[in-house]
Amino acid sequence: MKYLMMIYGNQEKWASMPADEWTEAIGRQDAFNRKYAGTGELLGAYGLADAVQARLVRREDGQPAVTDGPYLETKEYMASFYLLDCENEERALAIAADMPFADVEPVELWPILHEAKTDL
Amino acid sequence: MNPGPDGVEDLLRELAPQVLAALVRRYGQFHLCEDASQEALLAAAQTWPRQLPENPRGWLITVASRRLMDQVRSENARRTREELIAVATPAAELIAPPADASPADDDDSLALLFGCCHPDLSASSQIALTLRAVGGLTTAQIAAAFGVPEATMAQRISRARATVSGAGFDVTLPTGTERTERLRAVLQVLYLIFSEGYTASVGDELTVPSLSVEAIRLTRWLHRLLPADGEVTGLLALMLLTDARRAARTLADGSLVPLADQDRDRWDQAQIAEGITLVSAVLPRGNVGPYQLQAAIAAVHDEAATMAGTDWPQILGLYELLELTTAANPFTTLNRAVAVAMVHGPQAGLEILAELGGDKRMERHHRLLATRAHLRELAGDGPAAAADYLEAARRTTSLPERRYLARQAARLTGSLG
Repeated sequence: MKYLMMIYGNQEKWASMPADEWTEAIGRQDAFNRKYAGTGELLGAYGLADAVQARLVRREDGQPAVTDGPYLETKEYMASFYLLDCENEERALAIAADMPFADVEPVELWPILHEAKTDL
Repeated sequence: MNPGPDGVEDLLRELAPQVLAALVRRYGQFHLCEDASQEALLAAAQTWPRQLPENPRGWLITVASRRLMDQVRSENARRTREELIAVATPAAELIAPPADASPADDDDSLALLFGCCHPDLSASSQIALTLRAVGGLTTAQIAAAFGVPEATMAQRISRARATVSGAGFDVTLPTGTERTERLRAVLQVLYLIFSEGYTASVGDELTVPSLSVEAIRLTRWLHRLLPADGEVTGLLALMLLTDARRAARTLADGSLVPLADQDRDRWDQAQIAEGITLVSAVLPRGNVGPYQLQAAIAAVHDEAATMAGTDWPQILGLYELLELTTAANPFTTLNRAVAVAMVHGPQAGLEILAELGGDKRMERHHRLLATRAHLRELAGDGPAAAADYLEAARRTTSLPERRYLARQAARLTGSLG
């Protein structure tokens, strides 16, 4: 089963963290990434740039039309996302709960649709 | 002799477990042997299409043994290990290995399969290791079949090998009740490989091996090694009888066709005949296990010319027997509910589903909702059926299934409006 795991935040929240705590937090996240890449369950981990860099792209008259994003106006935006492939939902929940930030911020977990079909 | 690349690939996949098993028996050290035998297989894949050696199996064992020694030499503790290997290698065997596999080789191959399905491994690790070590697939092929990056699959296989090596790879076959337990795990792994292949339709068929075909090949091989085991025979029959419907299960656009609507002319009659022969041979022996019962159910479906012409009382009887003889499984109960509905009417089936709804795991499960939708529609309750189909569509994670369920809901609401 593949899952998308996401954490959210905003500029003020990140800026409020002291520099040494920040370094330590990154270290703990790196350790998490190594641990689950090592078990063969973390397919990828990606941090996103600040929301001011998000763009909305449409096509108008066959040409790209670009405006500033993000699409949804919210207080917090996706900060990083992780692709998991693990045995079942219980296991995905356990990995999400092991995220370094999970004791202060919730981790959002979505199952990814797959092509498999069961016998109906 | 020039066998061509396809002939070579088939031959290599056949020989892969024998070569690895022979190496493990001789040297222990599962992970080193696995690397060495993969390298020998790669070397063979390159040179054999031009010139097949006289004794392919002996060639592979010799080359793999040399690679193993190269690896061992390059390791830190090389002196000790070289001595171990020199002592363990009967020189005559390396120079002139036997031309044909003997019964002892069969035991080695079986021990290898049991080892890959080691109870310390997770199901996904058992599957990956079995496909690589016994199935002879490359890491890239296995990764493609499961839709994960090759690096991820390599990591899983590497960890699985380390676990198996750490547990002390057992080159002797288990006996008694342990053997029964371990064989059950092996059959479970083969069935999971089959189910994954039976359902998945990702990727390019030329590069992604069909896992259901691979599972049938491995189970056929196991059946050849253990012809007297009723459950091995039952599993092979179940796979053949299920896989026989493959062409009719999906339309060209990938959409699902439920059993009731399948074009039965497209079922593979040769595979059905083989499956029925197998299951008919083992059922009278008694002590019938779950794979044999499921194969028998699949056989009844496959023998029917139409959904209505299906022998539902017999299917119901088989599901009742399956529930009596195996651990409680809500999905077996779901299937029995459908059979009950076909024999005694939809209301009787719905009553069974109502009992299942008390189970926390099941109450919101899309399979239960989809089944209830079907039975509610049969009972004439269109709005409730549509609501169930819609809720089931929201709760499945399978894309073709979601489309199918959403279409069922739309069909019902459309006909109401």
